[in-house]
Amino acid sequence: MKVILAAALIASCALSAPLYAQQPFDMSGERSQDATGNPPQPGPPPVEGQPSAVQPPAPVESPQASPAAPPAIPGSPPPQPANAAAGQRMFVIPSDRLSLAGEFANREWTVYLTPEQAEAASKLNFGYRNSIYVAPEASTLSVFINDTLIGEGPIQSPGGVSDRSFEIPYGLMRPGTNKIGFRATQRHRTDCTVQSTYELWSDVVPERTYLEFDAAKMTAQPTLDDIRAIGVNALGQTRFNIVVPKLEQSATTTPLLRLSQALGMLAAMPNQMFEVSTSLPAKAGAGELTVVVGTAAELEGILPRLPDGARSGGIAAFIESPVTGAQILVLTGPNWQSVESVVENILAPVDRPENVTRAVLATQRWTGMNTPLLTGSARLPFSALGLKSAEFSGRRFRTGFYVGIPSDFYGDAYGEARILLDAAYSRDVLPGSHIDVYVNGSIASTVPITRAGGDVLRHLPIRFTMRHFRPGANLIEIEAVLQTRADQVCSPGTTAGGESRFALFDTSEFRVGDFARIAQLPNLAAVAGTGFPYGRGGETVDLIVERIDNQTLSATATLLSQLAVMAGRPIRTVPKASAVATGGGNAIFVGPISQIPPVALAQTHLSEETAKIWGTSAQGAPADANADMLDEWRQKTSSSSWQKPFVAVSDWLDRTFDISLGSLRFRPGDEAMFVPPDTANVVMAQGIGPSGGGAWLVLTAPTPEKLQSGAAALARNANWELLSGSLTLFGIGENPMESRPVTRVTFLPTQPFSFWNYRLIAANWLSTNILSYAVLLACLSVLLGLVTFSLLGRFGKGR
Amino acid sequence: MNRIGTVAVWAVVTLCVITLITLPINMQTQLIASITIVALMAIIKILKGEGIWRLIALALGTAIVLRYVYWRSTSTLPPVSQLENFIPGFLLYLAEMYSVGMLALSLFVVSMPLSPRTGRTGELKFFPKVDVFVPSYNEDEALLANTLAAAKAMDYPADKLQVWLLDDGSTEQKRNSHKVLEAQAALARHDTLRQLCEDLGVRYLTRARNEHAKAGNLNNGLAHSDGELVAVFDADHAPARDFLRETVGYFDDDPKLFLVQTPHFFLNPDPLERNLQTFEKMPSENEMFYGVIQRGLDKWNAAFFCGSAAVLSRRALKETDGFSGVSITEDCETAIALHSLGWNSVYVDKPLIAGLQPATFASFIGQRSRWAQGMIQILRFRFPLFKRGLSIPQRLCYMSSTLFWFFPFPRTMFLIAPLFYLFFDLQIFTASGGEFLGYTLAYMLVNMMMQNYLYGTFRWPWISELYEYVQSVHLLPAVVSVMLNPRKPTFKVTAKDETVLVSRLSEISRPFFVIFGVLLVALLVSIYRFYAEPFKADVTLVVGGWNLLNLIIAGCALGVVSERGEKSASRRVRVSRRCDFVTDGRSFPATIENVSANGARVQVYGIDRQNVGFDMDAVIRFVPYGGDEPEELPVLVRNVEGHGDLTAIGCRFTPCVARHHSLVADLIFANSNQWSDFQLARRGNPGILFGTLWFLRVALYQTSRGLVYLLRSAKPGAGVVKAGAANSGVASEATR
Repeated sequence: MKVILAAALIASCALSAPLYAQQPFDMSGERSQDATGNPPQPGPPPVEGQPSAVQPPAPVESPQASPAAPPAIPGSPPPQPANAAAGQRMFVIPSDRLSLAGEFANREWTVYLTPEQAEAASKLNFGYRNSIYVAPEASTLSVFINDTLIGEGPIQSPGGVSDRSFEIPYGLMRPGTNKIGFRATQRHRTDCTVQSTYELWSDVVPERTYLEFDAAKMTAQPTLDDIRAIGVNALGQTRFNIVVPKLEQSATTTPLLRLSQALGMLAAMPNQMFEVSTSLPAKAGAGELTVVVGTAAELEGILPRLPDGARSGGIAAFIESPVTGAQILVLTGPNWQSVESVVENILAPVDRPENVTRAVLATQRWTGMNTPLLTGSARLPFSALGLKSAEFSGRRFRTGFYVGIPSDFYGDAYGEARILLDAAYSRDVLPGSHIDVYVNGSIASTVPITRAGGDVLRHLPIRFTMRHFRPGANLIEIEAVLQTRADQVCSPGTTAGGESRFALFDTSEFRVGDFARIAQLPNLAAVAGTGFPYGRGGETVDLIVERIDNQTLSATATLLSQLAVMAGRPIRTVPKASAVATGGGNAIFVGPISQIPPVALAQTHLSEETAKIWGTSAQGAPADANADMLDEWRQKTSSSSWQKPFVAVSDWLDRTFDISLGSLRFRPGDEAMFVPPDTANVVMAQGIGPSGGGAWLVLTAPTPEKLQSGAAALARNANWELLSGSLTLFGIGENPMESRPVTRVTFLPTQPFSFWNYRLIAANWLSTNILSYAVLLACLSVLLGLVTFSLLGRFGKGR
Repeated sequence: MNRIGTVAVWAVVTLCVITLITLPINMQTQLIASITIVALMAIIKILKGEGIWRLIALALGTAIVLRYVYWRSTSTLPPVSQLENFIPGFLLYLAEMYSVGMLALSLFVVSMPLSPRTGRTGELKFFPKVDVFVPSYNEDEALLANTLAAAKAMDYPADKLQVWLLDDGSTEQKRNSHKVLEAQAALARHDTLRQLCEDLGVRYLTRARNEHAKAGNLNNGLAHSDGELVAVFDADHAPARDFLRETVGYFDDDPKLFLVQTPHFFLNPDPLERNLQTFEKMPSENEMFYGVIQRGLDKWNAAFFCGSAAVLSRRALKETDGFSGVSITEDCETAIALHSLGWNSVYVDKPLIAGLQPATFASFIGQRSRWAQGMIQILRFRFPLFKRGLSIPQRLCYMSSTLFWFFPFPRTMFLIAPLFYLFFDLQIFTASGGEFLGYTLAYMLVNMMMQNYLYGTFRWPWISELYEYVQSVHLLPAVVSVMLNPRKPTFKVTAKDETVLVSRLSEISRPFFVIFGVLLVALLVSIYRFYAEPFKADVTLVVGGWNLLNLIIAGCALGVVSERGEKSASRRVRVSRRCDFVTDGRSFPATIENVSANGARVQVYGIDRQNVGFDMDAVIRFVPYGGDEPEELPVLVRNVEGHGDLTAIGCRFTPCVARHHSLVADLIFANSNQWSDFQLARRGNPGILFGTLWFLRVALYQTSRGLVYLLRSAKPGAGVVKAGAANSGVASEATR
């Protein structure tokens, strides 16, 4: 009898807990004690790129490849990050940190290259450092371009950042999208325990990681195609500067926001921000594009020379910036109509007709491939999800893939997905080893390996809860924790591992049945995942920006562009002067808190007080200290030995069932009005419009400056993914994101009526409101008893 | 509301319940729902809700059972790709679904049984002619004399009552047997029984050949008689005086009535009751059938003929050319045939006969094998679900009665399922510890509560499981064989007149000890694995617990197959009847305290104990129920004890003329109320908790008793006893 153990719904794992919250050790402590003296870098790695499986070690065919590239001597001056060298160098890591943790780690993402760049790419340089525990002789860092190994070498830079450079074989880079992959195989120097594998990491440093181009080949004039190739700066960010000299005209707002969405969708980078200004930026950098917008007449003031034909018709062209000398994009024409038509031309290729549904989410710039979007029952082999068969000789093998879930996913309470695992483990593997499934970093299932002597698992079903699924891309990871006799003994030299102990085959399948589909409002996770409901085709969104200034517009552009990227189509906004003018439809409010109409605050459960006191330091400190102290004391006191079995049972019940008093109620309480703490820099909140229909989204901050920087921070992929509940604030500290769960949900049907869908919706609703199910079942049973009594009374003898 | 409306409303509500039950809710919700419903059921049960509450409690239970079925079907089967897990896993699943199916059928049958009918002794005005058939094969003269005398003494106009002894033990075929011993025995039997019948005023009938066993014998009786009604009593089933008065009237009410069946009441314990010593305090096994199930069947006009203690209509039997004999359970088969022809049946829930049941475990198993094989033959040859002419409820009722006998399969599966994991590490049931708590445990609890609700006063907790287990071990091969060769089984008469004088192990007890040993090893393995493999301790705990339950039942069964010796050969019945004790021409007032087929114990007032000696002749004088004048029954004094004015005298009957048999029958059988009173005294629902504790105590004690018997039989000195036991086993086989 198999008990696939405790699909443990760990109580403490919030829906959006970061990936590394599950790990027993927080690495940041060790890092700070590092010999390098580098500051700890807390927080999850923004690139949770495709941690894909190993392919059989590719023979290093290319003569140019230098697997033993001399590591940089620690302390040697790093190569100057490109400043004016944008033409020759291109940063490639789309995040501020790229960490390869554990015994096996793989990160993949794609970069977009113009034909010219593809032709000129000659080298990939990168800087890295690693944990002191990584044994250099047994650990390898390999670099792939378009799945071809371009070089690999030992991991041996615990003392500081070392640089390496691998030649790129000519012809390997293609015009358009190219995949870059880093793979680390790491072993501990001394320890064979599973715990020790958490001490293994290598960081690839974004500011020293770039493609080098052959300058001689980089001569051609940039074209509109270069928008896609915008790339990132040394921190993995992408920045659009939109210069509109006559910003104060209200007619400029709509085309400008349309333009920002077009740019955002073309680039589709994970960390994009927009800065709207009236003058040209003073300096240019990597991962930046300046776009100047205005009629020819308006632009004359800032540009000495306009592209030819600007006065006769709409035109988009690159010219050299008079301030920095960098290439800037100019959109101009004789009047605003012509400028608008140019904007629409840029937008056209990325727009998606109403009736076309997406099959994938555009995540390839940070996950290596676009994420398949599952709208119902699906079965996907691992090979289609970008995983490759892999063999593994260490202790803890972790790999994963992404699947996309629509915004109207409503199966978090009851849903179950399955992995049909094709895998094998050798006879060395001891019972007590286990295979775990993580969803978005939270453990979802554990399968113990109970049979000694090795086994080949063929389509072993692993059921796991969909509780941690959220709209958008979801990271599903499989972790095999393997124990062997040799590891228990751990004689010198065995840490490196010899024979393969575990193999994962890409014939494994991910399966999900039909899940309930109905949208919930408010739900910031759906906003984050697919821009729902603002990106639905056929509906316009009222946009209320009360005062138009640079900062507010920048924030608006950043937000809308991010929504558009997520939604896969531009948001059709209609500017409205005031909240009163909005109908029953969806609306977005952007502005500093003083500019947000009171009705919008009320609908999103932001206290009216907020406008007066937020950001003025009039608030006291949050009073959670008591609760923390109580918890601490509880832990100190509750472990007398005779209580242990009881504690264990109660813990098991907690873990297994996670039933709190809160879940045993019929109606949710009223949502309390919320005043953001002073530490919050920006708040995004969603509520229902006063007429009962329409989802109102509010993005606000104490000041316009905080609004702009806050919007940019929220739009950073790592943060954006954490949006959830009815309100999310971004503040300071180690976990700057904080969300408030939804207390009252309004449902919004998104699918044509079908009995099966409503059945599943009922299942999820009842699984959320568990007492209702018990009561309903009891009542219906009583009714059945009564009816049966009357039925039996009418039939048979004894009437 | 008319019938169609009621059905429509019921269907809609059922559909809603099923929709709700098949929602794929999560485990937490299931757990809370389970707790809620178990609590509600417990409350209704504690408040002893009856009538409408009974159905509400059953509906609540049904909801949990269906949740379990849904979950079990959708989430727990091992993947087909692992055949070594899937095949046993699927078999276990089938076994469970069979159990659930049987629960559903029995719910249908007994959710609202007919309340017992009121007695109608006084109102009988119509006296059709009744032929009483007492078929016999090998029963001895004394037993037959009692039965025939009791039948003859029934309160009914003498000219309308004809008693027949249908003797199949001295047919021409037997008398002319090639085996001289058999032929001589048959000849002697022929003569004595003829004489007996003559003395008692009973018609004696035998036939040429023993064709079609009991059915053929009865049909021979039908051919030679002409009464409107036919009453059938097994040779050991003696009717009370009011038997016909309680039953015949129904034929006047309903011209399409073919059967009035009454319960079988047994004077002696079955082997389980005797060896566990529960006869006096716990309801007998068959009381569940006669106390609830037949009443439930009666509601759906599906009460069936049980071979004896019933009155049938000749007119109906003519339509089927008498009793059917395709299967070896001709009784039920006949009932199906007549039900399907539109005839009706009635069940009277009052014990009106008293009889004997098999005393040794081996003959008990023999009897059950016949029932099981016969019912499966009926299923095979007369498949009731598609039998034309039966109403839908009747079809379901007969399916319930016949399918019941497949229980050896699931019982065996439940027995061995834990071993797959404990011995071979197979994983045939995919569930987490939490799911086990939320689904399986709730299901088991609810199942027990429903059983207790349905049968509580008639069947104590775990006793059904024990009966099923002790039968399964030997019934499984019998059921398999009849499934393979449906025409092979032949009618074997169950020996009911055996006694166990010396404590011994039953001759068919060996498999029980082997199974017990295997389960015990499994228990040790589970303890070892619990500590040695902490990563799956919870699985081991659950499976080990299951195995422990099996072990407890198997241990209790060791007691069942360890036959307890009994001093007295026949069962004493408690009575309280005034009489005079006459010895040496002097008469003393006395009360008859208890009586058996062989003797009685009387409390005599004022007799001088010095004057009463061992083996002294005496006479008991009393007024029989059937007459007005006192009559005398000769006895022999066997023992004397007492003090003061009262002296208890044990005496043995020494009947010399047929009338004496009638007097004995009058003492033992005439008063049917004493059977009802005895049954009522045993009926009581101990509840699940106390019932379980009681069972645990019994199981522990019986395990040790069984092991002691085993040790004793292994000693060389005990060989004689064992041989004797084996001989008596052979003898009892031979008598069939």
